[in-house]
Amino acid sequence: MSHPHAANRREDLRLITGRGRYTADVNLPNQLHAAFLRADRAHAQIVAIDARPALARPGVVAVFTGADAIAAQYTQFPNLMSFAGRNGGQILKPERPVLATTAVRYVGEAIAMVVAESALAAQDALDAIAIDYQDLGAAATVEDALAPGAPQLHANIPGNLCFEWETGDAAAVESAFAQAAHITKLKVLTTRVAPSPMEPRGSLVSYDAASESYDVYTPSQGMVMLRKQIGTLTGVPEARLRVHSHDVGGSFGQRSGVYPEHGALMLAAKRLGRPVKWVGSRAEGFMSDAHGRGLEIAGELALDRDGRFLAARYDFLCDMGAYLTPTGSISHLRNPATLMTGVYKTPALYGSFKVVLTNTVPIAAYRGAGRPDIAYAVERLVDRAADEMKIERSELRRRNFIPPDAFPYKTPTVGVYEPADFAGCLDQALKTADWSGFENRRAASRQRGKLRGMGLSTIIEATGAGVFPKDQVAIEVDAEGKLTVFTVSLSSGQGHETTFTAVVADTLGLPHTDVTLRECDPAHDLIGNHTGGSRSMAGVGSVCKVAADKLIEQAKPLAAEALELEPSQIDYAGGVFKSRDGDRTISFAQLAKKLAGRQPHPMNTLAEATVGSTWPNGCHIAEVEIDPETGVTEIASYVAVDDCGIVINHQIVEGQVHGGVTQGAGQMFQEHVIYDRASGQLLTGSFMDYCMPRAGLVRDIDVGDHPLPSKLNAIGAKGVGESGCTASLPALANAMTDALRPAGVGHLDMPYTPSKVWHSLQAAKTHQSTQKK
Amino acid sequence: MFEFNYVKAKSLAEAQAFIAAHPEAKLLSGGMTLIPTLKQRLAQPSHLVDIGGLAELSGIEVTGTQLAIGAATQHFEVESSAVVKRAIPALAALAHEIGDPQVRNRGTLGGSVANNDPAADYPAAVLALEATIVTNKREIAAADFFQGMFATALEEGEVVVRVRFNIPRRAAYEKFRHPASGYAMAGVFVAEGATGLRVAVTGAAAGVFRWAEAETALAKKMDPAVLEGLNLDATDMNEDIHATREYRANLVRVMTKRALNKMLAA
Repeated sequence: MSHPHAANRREDLRLITGRGRYTADVNLPNQLHAAFLRADRAHAQIVAIDARPALARPGVVAVFTGADAIAAQYTQFPNLMSFAGRNGGQILKPERPVLATTAVRYVGEAIAMVVAESALAAQDALDAIAIDYQDLGAAATVEDALAPGAPQLHANIPGNLCFEWETGDAAAVESAFAQAAHITKLKVLTTRVAPSPMEPRGSLVSYDAASESYDVYTPSQGMVMLRKQIGTLTGVPEARLRVHSHDVGGSFGQRSGVYPEHGALMLAAKRLGRPVKWVGSRAEGFMSDAHGRGLEIAGELALDRDGRFLAARYDFLCDMGAYLTPTGSISHLRNPATLMTGVYKTPALYGSFKVVLTNTVPIAAYRGAGRPDIAYAVERLVDRAADEMKIERSELRRRNFIPPDAFPYKTPTVGVYEPADFAGCLDQALKTADWSGFENRRAASRQRGKLRGMGLSTIIEATGAGVFPKDQVAIEVDAEGKLTVFTVSLSSGQGHETTFTAVVADTLGLPHTDVTLRECDPAHDLIGNHTGGSRSMAGVGSVCKVAADKLIEQAKPLAAEALELEPSQIDYAGGVFKSRDGDRTISFAQLAKKLAGRQPHPMNTLAEATVGSTWPNGCHIAEVEIDPETGVTEIASYVAVDDCGIVINHQIVEGQVHGGVTQGAGQMFQEHVIYDRASGQLLTGSFMDYCMPRAGLVRDIDVGDHPLPSKLNAIGAKGVGESGCTASLPALANAMTDALRPAGVGHLDMPYTPSKVWHSLQAAKTHQSTQKK
Repeated sequence: MFEFNYVKAKSLAEAQAFIAAHPEAKLLSGGMTLIPTLKQRLAQPSHLVDIGGLAELSGIEVTGTQLAIGAATQHFEVESSAVVKRAIPALAALAHEIGDPQVRNRGTLGGSVANNDPAADYPAAVLALEATIVTNKREIAAADFFQGMFATALEEGEVVVRVRFNIPRRAAYEKFRHPASGYAMAGVFVAEGATGLRVAVTGAAAGVFRWAEAETALAKKMDPAVLEGLNLDATDMNEDIHATREYRANLVRVMTKRALNKMLAA
């Protein structure tokens, strides 16, 4: 069935026929190649390092070590934490030289960089570098890092605890719990995952001595944010940094931040006077690209006898890995705090957070960045409360939804929700999923020896408000009346070429093909935020609308001049300026041509707007069927109903939901970064052991729109990039719990691997037979 | 990957002579194990001597009660061969389940058998069908050929030329894919032939093995139900982050049952 707003994506033909231009595709004349020697152990002192034998290897031009990083003072990474912690304490930031100097703190940490005439020569020479280590004990888990006598990762961070924070009203929560008729408790894990974009990480850096400036070619989520971060790390003024990202093969938050390799390559490019390129392998990706999630959340919910929520409190343990990334700590605190009430009216809330360092790969924002984690904790807790109080799950939710007349709703923590229709989304999803007919399907599955379960989640997200104060969009007009739109956000699969150009073209009444998008062109520098936090359509797409409207108003006097009329007598519609009486007209293209002699073209427009958080929300329902013989789960059906505001292109909304749900299902059933607890060795370092989801995991997702236009931006969009992850984790877990409960299985943490599910069923069977005896 | 030299052999004899003269050289057939090993820099051969597609290692034919398949035959050729489908349809089905289309269009029967990866599919069929491995030097019975993880009876310089399978009355293969790698976490080939019923298991332990208790029980009564409660020692099963040995033992039982049901239904 064709959807009214489901135009095919304009970028797809180029991208799927191998004509994308990724970082590895970029080459510069006279370039050298780098390879990194990485730590083979989790925690050790570097007693001595001898790089000289590598220099003697064929083709090797230079070797860089931690001493070079220290000399350049490339040791302080940016961190976006914007508030103080408990008792006013600031987050304790570990020093992180771009090449390790005195110690290594996770398997994969870069220690030395060989630069050679070819990538192979650089790799070959890595073996010749000798390192004398003294092993220190590893703390691979948060529990181990916080234990008394735990190995200390950084001298300035006692007990490996770099930040403590609390939010909400502890006393109000305490007294509400004292009066509660029922209290439900549940501790959940959102496990550490490796986002693994299709494009491996890599960078190419060149240095221009005359202007003392750098060109950095690298995958990113937007050039302004990354440029600022590279500037913070290296002290190079931003005006002397040009970040080039063309096509990016997936980002998911993992491509948002500056990495040690950026700094190391800059050192080499400057010292050697030649461009230096590095393209990472998949194995390097697993051990050096930021990981995601890694939270433990203990939740408690207090209810009155009718199941009305009185209060909730959550305790968060946030694993940050061995160092702080720019985004990991802030996103794993602010987003859960903002959304701690979920879609429910909960009069009293309290959250406490501990941010902990471990001997593992650093953690950064990953699709949802704390939003899926808190939704998972809240929605599993609500489901458990419903089970304990024998209140139907959708009914318990309905009873506690923030009612329509309560908007804008100020939560007890930090957010102000814009209007939403939680009950409307729920109803639409229940109907589409045939919620009421489920017990028949469960019985039919039982007939076939299968365990069937159904689960739902009702969720809300705060989209990324951005780090920069505003977003700018520029439009340039050429002599043919064709337009080029410039932004500094960046698509890594989101389809901006389709949607941003559609917004501009539809506003102007021009064919979509008359408008071209150029993102992150260093020659067109603008103020603006990177793509992340589901923000680009609301935060940048809306500015495309503002820019197109501004262009019309700017062009009216020019059209009036051409038509020899007063500007007030000019109307614009369908690509044509015309007089009020309709007698005189000049088309957009004709006007553009007429004015083409003037430089710059007088129809060129620069527009801007400040767009804060919007509030996408929705209801997802999953139905699962478990084969008790093997523990294998099939997702039997999946319904997503999202209020992502006004939909610009339904096909792109579907694509985002499909991708998000698949990543959620991947985490729920198979993806899991596992470290050996004793040694800190990475056990899931390749796709042979790290279970990346395959297409068959999620076969059919019914994506329904339930748009309530946002009034917080010019196009009414709320965003959809992360709702698939945020809603699917709890919906799938609740479905699994529902399927396993009749068999006597209680709480299980993700991932629901076949082995784990089978063992839990065996244990329940054994337990039941002992009980009978 | 380290640098190496590539040599295309025109005959097996030429390849053997080259290997004999270059102790660091290695034979390359489909390369589905060797190439990833090279990419991980875990091997540094001086030469790769390509024996892929040699006429003497090719061909699929039925002779009497046996099906002979050349060692260089790619999995895709086995799965799509009308001769194989007619003689041993379960073998064609097994080939179809190996890896993905790219792997099936490169990987070979001989490579799989000679490598004896404990999670490879073919060894289960070779063992259950009591096949004969024909090398450039001799013929080896399947029961003697597989000797545990990546170990076989092959001697230095000995190359698998073809495999002769006994054509069974009926047979079937069922496997449980490893969730990450797609290899068999437990694969069971059941075959009913001249010598009786054979149950060969791959993926679950250090190497392919026959489940003797199941063969005995099923010889008495050809009914998958006899497998319930039948002894299957988990002690020697593999255990790793993906699955416990008890779980693998369970998979062996379930896959055996499913393979039997498939065989009996055919």
